Amino acid sequence: MSADVTALASRPADPPASAARRPRWGRRLANGAGIVTLLYLILYALYGLWDRGAFSAYAFTNLVNNAAPLAIAAAGETLVVLSRGFDLSVAGVMSLTNVVMATYPMEGPQGALLSLLMCMAIGGVVGCVNGAAVAYLRLQSIAATLGTMIICRGLSLVILDAPGGTVTDFVSNTLTDQLFGVIPVSGLIVAALAGLWGLVRRTDFGVALYTVGTDETAAALSGVSVARTRFLAFVGAGLVYGVAGFMLTAQTATGNPNGGNPFLMLTFAAVALGGTSLSGGRGGMIGSIVGAATLMLLQKVLFSGGVSSFYTGIFQGVVLVVAIVFSRALSRLLDGRRR
Amino acid sequence: MGSAGRPGLTVEGATKSYGATVALEHVSLHLAAGEVHALLGENGAGKSTLVKILSGVVQPDTGAMTLDGAPYRPHTILQARAAGVATAFQELSLPANLTVAESLLMPRLSKGAGGLISARKTERTAAAILRRHGLASIDPGQAIDDLPLAERQRLEIVRALHHASKVLVLDEPTAALAEVDWLFDRIRDAAQAGIAILYISHRLAEVRSLCKLATVLRNGQSVATVAVDGASDDRIFELMVGHGKRAGIQRRPAAPRGAARLEVRNLATARLGDVSFQVAAGEILGVAALDGQGQRSLFYSLVGLEARSGGTVTVAGRDSSPTRPEGALKDGLALLPEERKTEGILTSLSAAGNIVLPIMPQVSRSGFVWPSLERQAAAEPARAVDMSPRYLEFRIGDLSGGNQQKALLARTMATGAKTLLLYDPTRGVDVGTKETIYAAIRVFTEGGGAVLIYSSELPELVRIADRCLVLYGGSIFAEFEGDDIDERAMVAALTGHPGAARGPASPEPAS
Repeated sequence: MSADVTALASRPADPPASAARRPRWGRRLANGAGIVTLLYLILYALYGLWDRGAFSAYAFTNLVNNAAPLAIAAAGETLVVLSRGFDLSVAGVMSLTNVVMATYPMEGPQGALLSLLMCMAIGGVVGCVNGAAVAYLRLQSIAATLGTMIICRGLSLVILDAPGGTVTDFVSNTLTDQLFGVIPVSGLIVAALAGLWGLVRRTDFGVALYTVGTDETAAALSGVSVARTRFLAFVGAGLVYGVAGFMLTAQTATGNPNGGNPFLMLTFAAVALGGTSLSGGRGGMIGSIVGAATLMLLQKVLFSGGVSSFYTGIFQGVVLVVAIVFSRALSRLLDGRRR
Repeated sequence: MGSAGRPGLTVEGATKSYGATVALEHVSLHLAAGEVHALLGENGAGKSTLVKILSGVVQPDTGAMTLDGAPYRPHTILQARAAGVATAFQELSLPANLTVAESLLMPRLSKGAGGLISARKTERTAAAILRRHGLASIDPGQAIDDLPLAERQRLEIVRALHHASKVLVLDEPTAALAEVDWLFDRIRDAAQAGIAILYISHRLAEVRSLCKLATVLRNGQSVATVAVDGASDDRIFELMVGHGKRAGIQRRPAAPRGAARLEVRNLATARLGDVSFQVAAGEILGVAALDGQGQRSLFYSLVGLEARSGGTVTVAGRDSSPTRPEGALKDGLALLPEERKTEGILTSLSAAGNIVLPIMPQVSRSGFVWPSLERQAAAEPARAVDMSPRYLEFRIGDLSGGNQQKALLARTMATGAKTLLLYDPTRGVDVGTKETIYAAIRVFTEGGGAVLIYSSELPELVRIADRCLVLYGGSIFAEFEGDDIDERAMVAALTGHPGAARGPASPEPAS
């Protein structure tokens, strides 16, 4: 093109960029955390309908205690899933920390704190191994964490070959009690984790986590260290699994080398139910926590509704699929309106 | 000779190989401070590798670089940025989950109280950057996802400008831009400020208006650095491809028009109002438009990727209203989509696998598909686009952009559809590949096929189209036919210049 033609072509600028911002509330709802919260409230209403005692502090504390280990495990898993990975080691770490606590009980609040730190240290080490394998050695996350999960399970059986061990009174009673007779202590721990997540989201690491999960290449070209972000996600997840194992011990008041196994699938179910995309980049910890709570509440509702516990799995699966389909449909709808 | 001490960036003897493939071999280049330097070469000549080396994404195997006399060997993008070298990448690198502001400041956003990220501060910082570079019209709080391609490209450039205190690398910066004034102003400002600029483009006209010197890469080697003013187009093409070719533009004689193959009446979508036209068998109908005038909507609504709100489409006399591209294929319509990276190729499959994808059932033998069957079936379509058969077994992701595009065109033709919808088929493709693609399109129409082609480059339409529509604001603003297809007149029509509006040569029946 000659110069004057170029000039002509460029006179009227392209039409202005679509000015409409996506509404914030729309994003919230569409990302699934909103839907699962709604689902939780509906289920709780059902529970109240069938069981008069549902709204008592005692019943609520029970629910929270039941849900806490899964909620915390799912919160940890969320970190890895957001970065587009899977972490199967969650089941192994929970078993391992559980048997370690039951084998080496430490009395009193200080002892409990030491136990907690020990659990987190175990989780952190496993997380480091996972992270190094996935981020630096570039193994596929499912393969690497499958390995560490099996190792942790094996270690658990070596440490405690049959259910048993001792859990101190402080851990099994105080941590499952209520503060001021109303607030469940385990709920406070979950809330503290959620609060911490709120802070992490507003760090460069938090933004990088979502970015790596969305588009690894673009993240790298934007100056994000993809390997470091992935590594930190696994380490963070491991630390949180340690807390989950700690709470599992408090809830079950015993050591069981297979105690963590049921959590493997439920953790992913909770993450997905909470609206976090298993392909990375979308979602958050709060959704996973509520997702876990919903799965556990569902058990309770079915029980109080007189449904045989054999059916629980079926219902959990159906709810999971329906919730994901529904949230997909809703986000399509919102997107459609935007265009 | 002692290049140390010369201001600017010097590359000497850079070599890089990936396994057995040598991507760059002893490439030398000097970018002087305050000058715009062009880098030319066909796809696969090693331009992308050189860009990656300059910006710290990969490290050269051998060779040395100096920046203002000091050794320069970045290992990450951040190190390159810290040294003052920044790149606007061809494959736009803005993460889709971020806002405009976040993507500009990544990986370190502005912090507020307690060391936490403050969205407000981040947006304020970003707004200042956008203003400084003449892009105040973009809202820093907007999601990248919601930006049109052209705006994303501008943003990519602004981000590079922001970090480039010494060297700015622009890799195909106009690939998605219909208007270049903004970019050229930025480039001239940056050069004035003493920044060395490496400008990579397939558009020779741009290079001529911006650059004094051009370095030509061929097969991974820097074959020459020439003064742009002293070199004719032919000379430059010759350096790029290694032999002189490309005669002057030759329009083919107007083909006798056959029966209407594709007929569109009063088509309307959210971005398109009341568009009617026909494409006859054996005809190439061009569509010219600036960014975002509804051309994408037109192509996508024809194959069911976008909803229509009115109008009828008939293909070979039969009504066609597909809701998915498969349906369109059954009707005999095949689309070559806009973004080959995200909408076209399956990077992990072989080139052959990509080509035969739509005709899988014909390729399989009693339900199974072997690579050799794929290669056999892909050979014919690959020949039609002049793609070397040795590429067929490679993973398509490893091929150059030009070969990927050829494979995609081969796939579109392999569907057996008699009407092709080609959306910017030569975007980001080198001159040699362009010629091949033109030839393939011609052969296709001579065999009785009909083609609707949108191109972001006017000269291309002037060359290849029998008739040409100009879209403006979602409707047909003008129509040109035969020798009337002229750049100057079309440019006026593109911009909606009132005097340029003109109707079709033969009036269509009123509807």
